[in-house]
Amino acid sequence: MTRALHVVRPGEGDSAPGAAAPLAPLAPIGVLDSGVRFALVGSELSAGATPQGLGDHVRVFGARPSAVGSHGAELLDAITTIGLTGRGGGHFPLARKWRTALAAGGGGTVVVNGAESESCSAKDAALLQLRPHLVLDGAVSAAETMAARSVVVWLHDGASMTRLSVEQALAERREAGVVDPPIVVRSGPSHYLTGESSAVVQALSGGPALPAFRRVPSAVSGVDGRPTLVSNVETFARTALAARTGVGAYRPATLVTVVGRRDRLVLDVPPSATFDDLVGIEWSREHGVPAAALLGGYGGTWVTWSQIGGLPVHEPALRAEGHTLGPGIVVPLPAGACGLAETARIVDYLASSSARQCGPCMFGLRAVADLVGQLAEGSARRSDLARLRRFAGEVDGRGGCSHPDGAVRLVTTALHTFSADVRQHVHRHRCLHAGTAPVVPVPSGA
Amino acid sequence: MRTRTSQVSRRAAPILRVDPVACEGVGICTHLAPDVVTVDSWGYPIITERELEGRDLAQAERAVSGCPRRAMFLDQNL
Repeated sequence: MTRALHVVRPGEGDSAPGAAAPLAPLAPIGVLDSGVRFALVGSELSAGATPQGLGDHVRVFGARPSAVGSHGAELLDAITTIGLTGRGGGHFPLARKWRTALAAGGGGTVVVNGAESESCSAKDAALLQLRPHLVLDGAVSAAETMAARSVVVWLHDGASMTRLSVEQALAERREAGVVDPPIVVRSGPSHYLTGESSAVVQALSGGPALPAFRRVPSAVSGVDGRPTLVSNVETFARTALAARTGVGAYRPATLVTVVGRRDRLVLDVPPSATFDDLVGIEWSREHGVPAAALLGGYGGTWVTWSQIGGLPVHEPALRAEGHTLGPGIVVPLPAGACGLAETARIVDYLASSSARQCGPCMFGLRAVADLVGQLAEGSARRSDLARLRRFAGEVDGRGGCSHPDGAVRLVTTALHTFSADVRQHVHRHRCLHAGTAPVVPVPSGA
Repeated sequence: MRTRTSQVSRRAAPILRVDPVACEGVGICTHLAPDVVTVDSWGYPIITERELEGRDLAQAERAVSGCPRRAMFLDQNL
């Protein structure tokens, strides 16, 4: 069954709800970085895929309701009941994080984490460039609720278009006399781990932008020892929507980046849509039915398409089946591609991106990456496969941050999902899918 | 006054933990606490997360104070 998803093309106004737009190729949006297209699927966010100034923002969503004092308590109750979770990958209950920060006393920092390190993901850039005021509203409401002193928008140094968009939005708010706590834009080096939350906290405290082992959570003691709330860009956008709708009218949805060989498509997906719907928009026309998918990006999980095709793109439903969307990334793998070769390129990049602070990550992850590389090229023996499994087990959970855990998750799910390929590679030293072009975008020369 | 620990649940007995950023794989801990700490393929300590009492706790305390990197600590927070 294909459900007609309403696609808003760049440059279009908000067409009539329910009237599915023709499935013509979407044009890249100028302001976004290379090859990102933004489509919105019938939700609160779908007010045209064009950058939204303050005037449009207020007209579409209304002014931001106060979250000071009892209003903050109401907002906290609302996000508790809605069950809002973090969209950076962990899906941690947001209300629990807020309560921890509140209990630790006010006067801290709210950090909008927009350092989207994953080449597969584009949702945070899309939001900050298209709906900057919605994200800022969410951050200000969070700051008011927990009596934080300031808001920081944290980006990669190289994210110049995103930075420009946020700076413009901040200037607009100042000119319009919007009353906000101090909001600053800060950035760190364009490294994979710059967006890791303990790295953000350490960088904002004057240290290097590298993961730090925290004996107490940063919600208790973070930037400069004060309670610090670090959340993903989308989390704040959802917070801003929840602050306006309250519990009753809140419409759950998830931003998903669907990754193709040529581009990334960001979709705002209602919980009723399935993975088949997601690729049905246009991916399948080009590639057919996917053989498998990488859910959650580099540190995510490989699944066969038959496992997930009919499932809703909705985290609670996926968790019930043992899956997770992570930071909302779906990379469908065409039938002709080699999942092991894809995995080898990703895990090599992850090993190269290690902060080189923790032994198990510095040495173990490299060893894992090298063995997966041998497996992919067909030079691994059965004993290497056993060694790979042992090393993966030894690395899992042993870093100061979850970087190695994600890499291990990727590798172990690849061995399971592509077990037929593993047999071919190990026993016959050949690939079932030799000569196919890479699918997952991975930076070279990390 | 609200205390910072008011919301933190406590374990019945502490567990031994290592700060892997501070750890440099010196390995003294595996000698001081052989029943609590094992070593991985690259010489770094592996600690099974379990609450420690008696002899094991005494070993763990020696590992904590003997670590030249001050990387080990006892943690009773859940």
